[in-house]
Amino acid sequence: MIENSFDRRDFLKVLGWGGAAVTLSGCGFTSVQDGVETVVSYVEPPEYAIPGISVYFNSTCAQCDAGCNITGRLREGRVLKLEGNTSSTINYGKMCGLGQAGVQAHYNPDRVREPMLRGGEVLAWDKALGMINDKLSGVKGDEIAFLTGSVSGHVKVLLQNYLEALGTKNHYAYEAVAPSVVRAANKKAYGVEMPRLRLDKAKVVVSFGADFLGAWVSPVNFSQQYGKFRKAGDTGRGVLVQIESKMTLTGANADRWIAIRPGTEGILALGIIHALGAAGLSLPADVAAVSKAYDAARVTKDTGVSAEQIEKLAALLKERSPSLVIAGSAAEGYVHGSQNAAAINLLNSVLGNIGKTIEAPTNVPFPQVAVTTGNRSSVQALNDSMANGKVKVLFSYGANPVFTTPTALKFKENLSKVGFKVVFAHYLDETTQEADLVLPLDSALEDWGTSVPEYQGESAQLSIQQPLMEKLHANTRGVGDILLALLKQRRANEYKDYEDFYSYLRNAVVKNKSALGSAGEDDDTFWTGALSKGLVYFNGSKGSLSAKSSAAGIVLPAPAEEDAAYPLHLIPAVTANLRDGRHANLPWLQESPDPMTTIVWDSWVELHPKTAAKLGIVEGDIIEVTSRSGSIKAQAYLFPGIHPDAVSMPLGNGHVAMGRWAKDVGVNAFGILDQVVDKETGELAFNETRVKISKTGKRVIVVKDEGFIGGSQAGNKIAVRASTDEVELSGEV
Amino acid sequence: MHRFLSLFILLVGLFANAASHAADAPPSITTADDLGPVVEQPIEFPHNRHAGNRDPADAADPSVPAKGGMEINCMYCHTYARRSMVSGIPPLRKCIGCHQNLPSVRDTPRIQKLFEYWDAKKAIPWKKVHDLPDFVRFNHERHIQRFIFTQGKPVQEACGYCHGDIKTMTVARRQKALSMGWCVSCHEKDHPVDAAATKTTTHGPNDCWQCHK
Repeated sequence: MIENSFDRRDFLKVLGWGGAAVTLSGCGFTSVQDGVETVVSYVEPPEYAIPGISVYFNSTCAQCDAGCNITGRLREGRVLKLEGNTSSTINYGKMCGLGQAGVQAHYNPDRVREPMLRGGEVLAWDKALGMINDKLSGVKGDEIAFLTGSVSGHVKVLLQNYLEALGTKNHYAYEAVAPSVVRAANKKAYGVEMPRLRLDKAKVVVSFGADFLGAWVSPVNFSQQYGKFRKAGDTGRGVLVQIESKMTLTGANADRWIAIRPGTEGILALGIIHALGAAGLSLPADVAAVSKAYDAARVTKDTGVSAEQIEKLAALLKERSPSLVIAGSAAEGYVHGSQNAAAINLLNSVLGNIGKTIEAPTNVPFPQVAVTTGNRSSVQALNDSMANGKVKVLFSYGANPVFTTPTALKFKENLSKVGFKVVFAHYLDETTQEADLVLPLDSALEDWGTSVPEYQGESAQLSIQQPLMEKLHANTRGVGDILLALLKQRRANEYKDYEDFYSYLRNAVVKNKSALGSAGEDDDTFWTGALSKGLVYFNGSKGSLSAKSSAAGIVLPAPAEEDAAYPLHLIPAVTANLRDGRHANLPWLQESPDPMTTIVWDSWVELHPKTAAKLGIVEGDIIEVTSRSGSIKAQAYLFPGIHPDAVSMPLGNGHVAMGRWAKDVGVNAFGILDQVVDKETGELAFNETRVKISKTGKRVIVVKDEGFIGGSQAGNKIAVRASTDEVELSGEV
Repeated sequence: MHRFLSLFILLVGLFANAASHAADAPPSITTADDLGPVVEQPIEFPHNRHAGNRDPADAADPSVPAKGGMEINCMYCHTYARRSMVSGIPPLRKCIGCHQNLPSVRDTPRIQKLFEYWDAKKAIPWKKVHDLPDFVRFNHERHIQRFIFTQGKPVQEACGYCHGDIKTMTVARRQKALSMGWCVSCHEKDHPVDAAATKTTTHGPNDCWQCHK
């Protein structure tokens, strides 16, 4: 009826009157709530509490493994904002966006609040803990496994004690995007897994794909050092050269960004050594023998980096000493990743940087609290055990392998073979959904703990994590408290003096106050001081490096053959915001634009414009990325900062569970990775996956901050751009 | 005809919808006399009894129940007003601090209720009487420091600029508009500044960001 008699003019009339009516009804101060809102006062206020005035407590950030020291601002008993702790030598009072979003992890509405059985049935804590005890009875020690992320501090001590009480050695520490191949190569070359990298002392930094300003190891520490490195002091402004196949945030900051054929980083490193030798640097005999074969012509052919560029790099490194060469994630993600990293580390030794810009970290005098770093081979080992039916009971804390392992590993299928799975969880993520029993954890801002970060500042420290506010939900528990309760089931006598994890922690730290530099103080003074500072330093001795880099054993394969069926390399990108995806449910991180592409709330495929032109793809085309292990669809984004033979997809999105902001946003690039490992360490070779791309015929508008023109400037020379081959940076050498 | 009918029905529907939406909203707070709504509190707190003027007939002996007020300084209970942005609702401990020593009124219904909260260690869910929009930051400390401590105005007069004559009320009710125009009307006035004061200006700040930040 209305269709016949209602024309456009009437429609507009109704719209106008309707708008007026709605406007009138909306008049007034709508946010004023006299007599509606409740204003709750304290029953007994703490001495320091003045409503409206902030108080500050120090704690430790748990958003990533860098372990930055933080200061939380509270008002009326609620934490509002986090900042860096100014007395920290890890983050020097600064903090990154991921850390800032810790507040949202704490207040997140999707947190698990009650102990639950599979299917969501809620049960009481004593029942849940009793259930674990029942399920463990009759199970042999080596049939029990504990999967965690990186762990350190007193939670690690309790964890080790619990494993011992259960009679198992099966602790699998898993980190999906950790630099585990580089750690192994460092151990070989320098004698330590993670030396202190002194960017602030270096005059040149050559980074082979280490995104140290974005997401690598301890980005806030490196950013602070980078500031000093870039300052034109006595030594002049430092020069940063970044060599990688896909531009990272660090690459975008570099003076020279060199695009390299994926996987040939080691060849270039040896090529630079060869060029250094040719320029007159004396090389040890074994090094000279190995690098002899890597003359400029061959290296250029293999890597795609011009001879002139190699010569310039060598001249730069020779001229400006000390320098620092860093092997990063982009170089390690291949079948020959260890070899790549070894060749890059060799460059440091040839340049004499060991001991100058590569320093030994301070020893942590208590190995039981020192960090157990996670890697990727551990989850493969666990997967094999599960597949063979060797695991009857599995505990999981701080890892989400169902999301972060390649589908080809079949982790989810193998997980279902485990009889009883207990997950300590913040969210109902992909792994938690598979659990038989879910134990809800306190947020990092509600929990007690200590941590010893892998990458230490000026001296080794024990960072203290203390609750910044009361618990939001009555039935969550700290991980330490859960472990203590489980330990009491086994060793009641040993732990009977500890009412909760706090009393255990206080006792353990205070007992060792002399090793923490406060021998003379009484216990309360020491403990209060430690809590107010948020960290204590170990009386640790300076460690030493054993420089034994040698060219022996470095065997670099020729660049990978062209693969006709799957012509492109897939480079999964670890972004500063989302990392391995554990924080995908924090809307601040989804909303912050990716630093390189400015895309928000989605996944994308980065393609070089030339590659895209060849395939007839324009920005926004939904394209299907197919590897031998699977395929996913995402929007195309044309980006000149990538090698034409490669495409890149960010990790972290594509959750099918976890929470309202993570679920169904983007696609999971972990899923289509081929299960190929580094030959030496057995670590998943991240960048080895080959893909092909096909158009689906659909096109979307890419949601990004840079506007529809993107980086093309539409022919206007707003910011002039030139390739590194064309430009002569005067004074650089 | 058909056409007008459908138009009419649509419009009536829209207005009815808007009106029902408006009815859901909290009652309008702008009344003719600038009075706020009558707010029902969990305990009908008698401001007049605590802050009101002393009855001359009352004896000096504190053990004899007084008929008039006790002239307690506003800041004795709203202790944060001089130190913070908000004046603060007194913590329950403050009430009990005096009332545990006042057996003469211990069995009255309001005090019994007060002790019930205290025994349960539960905060009293008072309702907000003076609320401002979320984009306005009014600072008590600045006003109290200036009028009471610098200029030596009587406390009840200074507080009364915005809160009215609380000492005559039981449960407080908003007396002033607390709208921007109302705030500005005072900030525009020339306030006499005493000679000792270092401030040369004689009226309140007029910058937007003083309140909207």
